[in-house]
Amino acid sequence: MAPFDDWNNIDEEEEEELQDASYFEGKRDVILFCIDCSPSMQELKEDPVYEGVQTSRLLTSLEAAMQIQKKKVLVGPNDCVGILLFNTTRTNEEAGYASEIKKGCFVYQQLGQVNAPKIQELIQLVEGAREDSDLLKSEYPPLEGKRVPIGDVFTSCNWVIRDNAPKTATKRVFLITDNDDPHPGTKQLLTSARTTLVDLIESGVQVEPFFIGTEDRPFDPTKFYSSVLINSGFDDEAEDEGTLPESISITRINDLLAQMRIHEVPKRAIFNITFELANDFVIGVKGYGLVTEQKKGSYKYFVDLGDRMEVAESRTVYIDEEQQAEVEKSQLVYGMELGAPPANENSDDEMDGAEYGTRVVPYGQRPFYDAEEVRSFRTLELEPGLKLLGFKDRNELAFEDNVKHSTFIYPDEQKYAGSRRTFTAMLKVMLEKDKIGLVRALLRKNAAPVFCAMLPQAEKVEEGGWNEPGGFHLIPLPFADDIRAAPIEEGFRASDDVKNAARAWIDKLCVKNGAYPPDTYPNPALAFHNAQLQASAFREEFDPESFEDVTLPKYDMMHKRAGELIKEWKKVLFKDDAANTIIATAGTKRKADVSVDEAEIRSKYEDGTLNKLRNDQLKEFLKNKSQPVSGKKADLVERVADWLTSHS
Amino acid sequence: MVADRAGYTVTMFLVDISPSMVETRIVDLPPGPTGEERTREVSSLEYSLQYVKLRIQDMIFHGRKTEQCGVIIFGSDDTHNVVNEKNGGYDHVTEFIPIGQPNATTLAKLDTLKPSETSGDPIDALIVAIETQDQYLEKKRTWTRKIVLLTDGKNPMEIEDWEATVHKMNALHISLDVVGIDFDDEEIGYQEEGKKNIKFENEAFYAKFTSSLSNGEVGTFEKALQERYRPEPKDTKSTLMGTMLRLGDVDVRPDEAMEVLVKTSKCTMLERPKSWKKFARRQAVKQDAEDETQDVDGQVDEDKKTVFSQLRMRTEYYVDHSESKDDTDDEDNEEGEDVKKKNAPEKVEKEQLIRGFKYGATYAPCPDGQFPKLPTKKGIDICGFFHRQNFRRDFSMGEVQYVWADPSSALQQVTLSSVVQAMADKDVLAIARWVMRDGADPKMGVLCPSQFDKVDCLLWVQMPFADDVRKYTFAPLEHLVSKKGDPITTHPYLPTSEQMSAMENFVDAMDLMDAGEKDEDGHRQPWFDTRLSYNPAIHRTKQALYHSAIVNDVVSNPLAPPHPELVMYFDPPKRAVKRAREAVEECQTVFKVKEIPKRAAKRARKDGHVRARDDDEEMLLLDLKGPKPSASESQTTSQEPYTNQVSEDADAGSETESEDEELLLDQPKSGAKANPPPTPARLASTDVDPGRERGRIIGTTYPLQDFKKNIAQGDLVTKAVEDMAYVIKEIVLRPFASRRHKELISCLTALRETCLKEDEIDAWNKFLRDLKESCLSPPGNPAFWAEVKKSGRGMSLISSPEAANLGGVSDISESTASNFIM
Repeated sequence: MAPFDDWNNIDEEEEEELQDASYFEGKRDVILFCIDCSPSMQELKEDPVYEGVQTSRLLTSLEAAMQIQKKKVLVGPNDCVGILLFNTTRTNEEAGYASEIKKGCFVYQQLGQVNAPKIQELIQLVEGAREDSDLLKSEYPPLEGKRVPIGDVFTSCNWVIRDNAPKTATKRVFLITDNDDPHPGTKQLLTSARTTLVDLIESGVQVEPFFIGTEDRPFDPTKFYSSVLINSGFDDEAEDEGTLPESISITRINDLLAQMRIHEVPKRAIFNITFELANDFVIGVKGYGLVTEQKKGSYKYFVDLGDRMEVAESRTVYIDEEQQAEVEKSQLVYGMELGAPPANENSDDEMDGAEYGTRVVPYGQRPFYDAEEVRSFRTLELEPGLKLLGFKDRNELAFEDNVKHSTFIYPDEQKYAGSRRTFTAMLKVMLEKDKIGLVRALLRKNAAPVFCAMLPQAEKVEEGGWNEPGGFHLIPLPFADDIRAAPIEEGFRASDDVKNAARAWIDKLCVKNGAYPPDTYPNPALAFHNAQLQASAFREEFDPESFEDVTLPKYDMMHKRAGELIKEWKKVLFKDDAANTIIATAGTKRKADVSVDEAEIRSKYEDGTLNKLRNDQLKEFLKNKSQPVSGKKADLVERVADWLTSHS
Repeated sequence: MVADRAGYTVTMFLVDISPSMVETRIVDLPPGPTGEERTREVSSLEYSLQYVKLRIQDMIFHGRKTEQCGVIIFGSDDTHNVVNEKNGGYDHVTEFIPIGQPNATTLAKLDTLKPSETSGDPIDALIVAIETQDQYLEKKRTWTRKIVLLTDGKNPMEIEDWEATVHKMNALHISLDVVGIDFDDEEIGYQEEGKKNIKFENEAFYAKFTSSLSNGEVGTFEKALQERYRPEPKDTKSTLMGTMLRLGDVDVRPDEAMEVLVKTSKCTMLERPKSWKKFARRQAVKQDAEDETQDVDGQVDEDKKTVFSQLRMRTEYYVDHSESKDDTDDEDNEEGEDVKKKNAPEKVEKEQLIRGFKYGATYAPCPDGQFPKLPTKKGIDICGFFHRQNFRRDFSMGEVQYVWADPSSALQQVTLSSVVQAMADKDVLAIARWVMRDGADPKMGVLCPSQFDKVDCLLWVQMPFADDVRKYTFAPLEHLVSKKGDPITTHPYLPTSEQMSAMENFVDAMDLMDAGEKDEDGHRQPWFDTRLSYNPAIHRTKQALYHSAIVNDVVSNPLAPPHPELVMYFDPPKRAVKRAREAVEECQTVFKVKEIPKRAAKRARKDGHVRARDDDEEMLLLDLKGPKPSASESQTTSQEPYTNQVSEDADAGSETESEDEELLLDQPKSGAKANPPPTPARLASTDVDPGRERGRIIGTTYPLQDFKKNIAQGDLVTKAVEDMAYVIKEIVLRPFASRRHKELISCLTALRETCLKEDEIDAWNKFLRDLKESCLSPPGNPAFWAEVKKSGRGMSLISSPEAANLGGVSDISESTASNFIM
């Protein structure tokens, strides 16, 4: 399964037995980048990153599209992308549907499944344009003096998507332009833009605009676009159909990629359930996975068909081995393992015909459950939904009460009118009183009930950029079954002197107003894997040396700030009485002779006589140093030597 | 009890099969789907075997070679045991199943036991068991010995020299559990009526006997059985894994860096329900499956058997040769696409396959299944610190780990302790990067100081990487902006001050901080404790697994309700609910939340969906027992192509889900599906669609349960009576009501009884008149009124004398009441 799908899967394991999750695979994402090529988009400026290089808004947009495609290809290999340029005089050469594409619009990259050649072509264009700043202008000359009607742009998008996108996908147009008033004074073009947009929406396409503004010339959506895009205003349907008021991004060109990253994956709810606050007091909520581990994609099996490689789909079948017959899924019944075959043969004689792996019951009886019954044992016959159990103080939610990632809930006005005001009121009251909620949750039909803490999050609105949404995080609480006792109950503790010495360097390494910054830690293992995957697809050599792991501690900075203080702390520590206590190993069967003094081992190591030590002594030493104790004696000796070398 | 060593145990089960064990009792089963009471007749022997099988199933479940058992029966017609063979005597005691590791055959063999013609002596059996066990364990002296005795205690026993037996058992460290059928139990307040003297004496003897043993217990059957299902967490010892906690660059600048030897262990660890094995009925003749429910009723051919076999899983690989497969899963078949579907996928052998990744449409070969991994070094590296108040609790991604200092080094302990204390002092958390083994993928997380009574440690939890966080945009909840860009302050989406104060009262009333039990000082404790909240799925699944292993038919012998401790946190505590009653009413009034009817169906498929959801339709489906009409089957198949289909709006996920739900409903069901074993959860839960109309507290689905529940709560009696009357009439006048006549009569009985007791006499009399009139005037339901008449005077109007008995008033004379029902 592609890693992308993890987001939409509440818990794969929970589903395993009962549900075929394959329908997620059908959910593809289609993005058509629709980029303005007007003279202002093509105007050359100094590149803010590369010195002496000229760039344009068009180039930056293409580059952003390339970056998005590079990401898409990894997280959603079945997704489709395409690029349409408008306000250019370049005409489409291709025959067929191309005739439907309006004048002034050019399909640079046909809409289709992302693949390596497509991305490479785009990379070449971007690199070529960087070397030769006039390349884009000559290849895609801007339409001077006039504008393509926005309505025509929408119509062209519609044709491109209609002909090439799979019908079952989420379809979006990323509209990139810097012109906030393309048709000043023409009411008619505004109306036609709106009508064509409605057509587009009705065929299931959403338009997500990225408007580029500058400090001198801010983008004013009220001039033209707000009357085109937010035509449905604040009505209830706005949320899911048509253009979302919240999806308008107005950005400076240098933040375009960051903005697109936010919209890279279409917002999808993972569940849509009721929330019962009390008897006859029910609202609707939707759930979103805002934090989920993004894993590497698992490998797939391919078949060489000569001209191409095709993925082999796997299918699991259930076999009655004795009869060599495949059993249909609907015929399956579920029960407990039948246990080991009988130990004493003589107990068998009375059981006529009962072979191992079977269970015989009187005719017409059934000692197993069907799928629906099995499901009822997981769900305890509850229906999907949240039920409020009450409220607790915020500090009742302990750090250690965690077993898996949280999900975010947001009101759904479409099932219950009034959900939003009720939800908002509860959120505000809970924030004010510093409370958390406790809910019983069954998030989907096949899940098992869990208790969740409901953590309120205040809405934060900042000028421009992404806002912290208001809503609740559902944090699944551990059950008694999930909680492990502390295996260690006693230990030596530090005196105040030592503690204060530690405090000194902690003070220096503490970021003021800092928090855990997820954005600064891209997953290095994933990036390393993806870089190799890309190289393999592009048939390039991968150079591991060029890879930088940014999650490694910033040693230089740490030592500069706190190096001396750490040294100081260690001095205090080594002088501490408690720290110098020798712990008598508890009276186990292994006697004291196993533990050999570190100094002695070191001297043996220096003499090259580590071999003289016994295996258990080597192991004991390694164990004390938290090193693996597996392998033959030679391995152990080598490991001890390695450790001593690195700790001399 | 001494802590048991897992395994290394021989348990002897002594089962009484004396003639008295044939006596039966009526056992309540969980009520049926319509709330009707169900019972089952069980003999004492079946009853006790249930317990034995449950214990044996536990052993099968663990699958330990060293956990063995044997079964000895007493009261058998013949005699076969080691003591008799050697010394004679000890008649009617038979070694039924020799000691060994039990399996499914053991359970099957127990089912063949029938009560005998002769009574046997439990003490004889006990002595045989001790001897048999001792012989078996001659070379295994350290094994634990257990004996479990099941009897109804109705037969005479030879109790002479019992002290000698006690002595011997104590010498051999044998523990004895006596499980008595219908023994009196003070704890659960059970006392058998009409107990015979001999049983009285026997019970007293068992009490004396077991209390003289260093390890003996006697208990009544019900309690013993329920205790088997009490949820208990598996006591897992976490292993300590060694690693290093590093601060700074220990390789290049070791004097300015620090390396602490630490051990990590799990603090939380997600447990999952036991998995189910898959079986199928062998040589299933078609009609078998369909006649199932009828068969149970008794017309079973004794010789015929049904065989179920365990299935193996096999993975097959297919390749689709059609190039244009993008289009094949289109929603509409009418465009003639089925031609392409004929291009059936071809099966390929796994050996022919090559591993690789998909890079979009491009194939990226990778024969090893993974690329070389990022080189990493084992250990936990501290990257920096930040203040605790800035910790985003919702970022915590997984299980929590303890980080302990090396228990064998004082220096390491003091070192870690100083860091923990300093962090706690400053109230900071550390950002850290954890590599489990050399070469493993690094994880980012935070370390939190944790101070126990006598030891300091750190707690670790994983935090998301940039790749793991998704920043969706949401419309603001509070800061609404108009089209013109002006802030909006009043809008249906924004709560008014009246609504805010109603919510405030609600939140205050539903506070759980003082809704729990009182502590020793009489202070109320918070309600809900994770340490007492058992995972219902795990324990219910386990209960069901065991149950299916020990009964031969889960249809006629459904699973008992879950242990109360399993569902005790399913609903808010009574105290809070009571306190919040007014606040809830206020909220209902001021927030005016309304369910929005489903939008009109766009497509035929949706139409089908709505229909399947419909209440009456569901009733019909549930009531269809036995053979499924082919119509619904074909409906299923005709819908199947849609399962992969995804509609284009953003909610596709949930839509697809409900389609599955729809499929489940439509799936051909065997008889048992019509009879899902209900549980208290179902009774207590309002999440099941109870078929309640807006404003009604009684629904059409489970009227009796709804009614009883409301009456039990005792707060809305008048409303409950009113709604019950309404609902009964509603159901009676529906088409196909005849199926529910019996249920409705029970409803009437309950309603009348309540009216009489709760002084709702006028309501009953008014209702009954109305019901009679409605039944007898067309379209009506005269058949039902005939049923009511059969109940006789006891169901008629409540008369003045009848009411006076309970201190009520009625204006109906006794003769009017009698005539009314004639």
